[in-house]
Amino acid sequence: MTQVAAPLEYRLAGTLGAGDFDHALRGLAMVSVMHVVAPTEPTPFNLLHAVGDSRVAVYGRERQVRSWPTSKDGYSVAVDDTVWVGEAGQIEIFDPLGRLIDTWRDDDLLGLVTAIGITRESVFVADAAARCIRHFDRERNLLNNIGDRHRKGGFDIPNGVVDFVLGRGRGRGSRWVVHVANPGMHRVERYTPDGELLGRFGRFDGVDPEGFPGCCNPTNVTLTSSGRVVVTEKAPPRVKIYDSEGQLLTVVAADEAFDPAAKNMDVATGFMDRIYVADTAGRQICVFERTEKQS
Amino acid sequence: MSRLTRREMLGHAARGAALVGMGGVTAYLTVKAHDTYAWEIDPNKCINSQLGALGVEICDACATDCVLPLSAVRAVNHYPECGRCYICPAYFEIKSAVGPDGLPSEKLCPRDAIERKAIGWIDPDDPANNFYEYVIDESLCNGCGRCVMACKEPAGLGSIRLEVRHDVCLDCNRCSISTACPEDAYERREPAA
Amino acid sequence: MRRAIHVSLVVALLLAFGLSAAAQDPADYQRPVDVAPTDEVIGEGYVTPEVQRPRSLAPWRQVLDMALLGGALLLAAWIVLKRRSRRLAFALTVVCLAYFGFYREGCICPIGSIQNVAVALADPNHAVPYFVIGIFMLPLLAALFFGRVFCGGVCALGAIQELVLLKPIQVPPRLDRALGSLKWLYLVAAVALAVLPAAGRDFIICRFDPFVGFFRFTGPVHMMLIGGAFLLLGLFVGRPYCRYLCPYGALLSLTSRLSWRGVSITPDRELDCGLCNKACPYGAIEEMRAVRTSCLACARCYESCPVHLSCRGADAEAAS
Ligand code: SF4
Ligand code: SF4
Ligand code: SF4
Ligand code: SF4
Ligand code: SF4
Repeated sequence: MTQVAAPLEYRLAGTLGAGDFDHALRGLAMVSVMHVVAPTEPTPFNLLHAVGDSRVAVYGRERQVRSWPTSKDGYSVAVDDTVWVGEAGQIEIFDPLGRLIDTWRDDDLLGLVTAIGITRESVFVADAAARCIRHFDRERNLLNNIGDRHRKGGFDIPNGVVDFVLGRGRGRGSRWVVHVANPGMHRVERYTPDGELLGRFGRFDGVDPEGFPGCCNPTNVTLTSSGRVVVTEKAPPRVKIYDSEGQLLTVVAADEAFDPAAKNMDVATGFMDRIYVADTAGRQICVFERTEKQS
Repeated sequence: MSRLTRREMLGHAARGAALVGMGGVTAYLTVKAHDTYAWEIDPNKCINSQLGALGVEICDACATDCVLPLSAVRAVNHYPECGRCYICPAYFEIKSAVGPDGLPSEKLCPRDAIERKAIGWIDPDDPANNFYEYVIDESLCNGCGRCVMACKEPAGLGSIRLEVRHDVCLDCNRCSISTACPEDAYERREPAA
Repeated sequence: MRRAIHVSLVVALLLAFGLSAAAQDPADYQRPVDVAPTDEVIGEGYVTPEVQRPRSLAPWRQVLDMALLGGALLLAAWIVLKRRSRRLAFALTVVCLAYFGFYREGCICPIGSIQNVAVALADPNHAVPYFVIGIFMLPLLAALFFGRVFCGGVCALGAIQELVLLKPIQVPPRLDRALGSLKWLYLVAAVALAVLPAAGRDFIICRFDPFVGFFRFTGPVHMMLIGGAFLLLGLFVGRPYCRYLCPYGALLSLTSRLSWRGVSITPDRELDCGLCNKACPYGAIEEMRAVRTSCLACARCYESCPVHLSCRGADAEAAS
């Protein structure tokens, strides 16, 4: 590339939701622009959704705008024009104001839902109990599993959570790509919706920040609007950004920003590549912003 | 029956009173007592396994303070709770340089008491794709607590904890570790089943 | 009548032993998640090994120890008060030293149990095992009936000093009494430190136990030094630890003050030649009579009597 990329630097801009969660804060989601349809009624656009403590809390720029209870402890949340909350054995679907639309129960296929991805045609659900990602159509028929082919028993998750994010492949009309954190193998893996391994990056290294330290990292993964991969690590907590090829671009935040006991910190990106990280032990959301304007 | 002298009467009375006193103390203690109490470590208190105690110094008092030359305390891996990780921070010194095999070059245990072996279905090409069993050799481990600290949540799964080996422990009245323990984690109680 | 009261008290005591205890649950380790792979996930017929967990000393071991202690106390009482035999008393001492001292490694002993009992009495969250209650109470009970037969025949700490006593010198009575009050100070200090809140608690009796290091053939340097010093001193001064420092000896002197029977030098006649007086290495004979609170029931005095079979006991009778 000829063009020199602006240095990628982040700073802690603030926190959200301190004191809102008493026991657990587990999942985060920010609606991405591409999902927004004509907003005739309130849409979740640009609102941060957080789950934990059997509650969904919705945050605007500075503060909580609404909150509603869920029937079980939420582990993950995804937003299109409705709000999907992943729980143990079920997914609850709410309208943007928190009215329950539907409960999708399935003890076998939705053992412990730790991540959800929604497209127009499909629903992807990470089942941490089965250690794989399930690919459903919108009618909730199981199409295939992702991750159970490459290792007996699925992803290696001593941390207890399978986290993934959907991204667009390159080129026009390309299909969705599922980016998965495989912490026990110290990798981020890319799959097609059919479960073919497209590529992967990452290796263990306890010293060099390029690698993933500890027994099982990265634990969570998301993408920026430009397709960069944001990962979070535990023990000690850290947030890093890689390019899609696995080149380390920057360390967003090292352990000082978080409670050192935080693990499985869910991460979401928003407007202007803001990064939201759920400090699961401190039970608050840390918001990181880029330090200089992108030119 | 010969008559008791006054002196003897007094003596009996005093002994009776003493007996009553001793009986009272005994009864009180007995109600509280338990017959199988032994020295045990409360893993929730031991600094090496105490959740949330992160970035603190490892306590090796269990290894250094026992009256036995090789402490009666061992690190015990509770296998069903172990993540069987490829890179176990309790086995490897994860801050050491990574060797050509992609593994840290040094081990954590100063006494090399932990063994690592691949288990179950084994991937011939990718060692990261296996589960590993970590077994602590009880004849080598002295309970220094390093692996315990390294395995603690959130780094590991906290499957390794320190335990008193009752077949080795002399059950000292004043267990010298219990008095050295900075966290008061030692207590005499019913051993865990 | 009185006998009946005694018996019923003892029965009440035994009943109290039988009361069941409120068992407290062993603390479980609290972890937020449990996500370890199962045998099925690991595959290939893998079976998770058992977590090794050897059990503690079998309960019968403790019952045996307690029974042996009780038996040894009765035996000592019989030897010293009835048989009046120094030789047998000495033999019992050696056996008890071998078993309670070297074989059972000198722990737990009644002397140290003072502190455990003190803690259990003072701290509502602390308890001692039945075993320890027995170890603590039995010698005191024996002293209440027969004097300090524990010291004479059973105590391993006493025994090791008994063995090294080479050439006893008499300590001037004044000095002896003054030094003797040290053990009360020691007792008070030990109890006071033991009942402190857990963080500051210290068991000094065990920390400065002079002989447990010998019983185990290993121990902290200070222990070995103190023990060595006591043994050296003990070559010439009879049982220095017992007489001047042992806090359990202090308790025993309390209950033995009330004792029903005790060492009596000439049970049925006056002789008063005073030879036995010199024979007692522990300064326990005053005005030709054994003082129950300080007599350690070693039976030396009987042996020293040149004349009277009634004094010298069955041994001498058999010999003549
Ligand atoms: S406690 Fe210390 S000696 Fe024992 S296995 Fe762990 S690191 Fe090794
Ligand atoms: S860190 Fe603990 S749980 Fe993980 S593999 Fe090692 S011993 Fe097992
Ligand atoms: S009771 Fe004695 S042998 Fe047992 S752990 Fe404590 S010091 Fe060691
Ligand atoms: S002395 Fe206490 S804190 Fe230290 S290792 Fe032993 S149990 Fe843990
Ligand atoms: S005085 Fe103390 S040490 Fe001496 S024999 Fe008696 S109990 Fe044992």
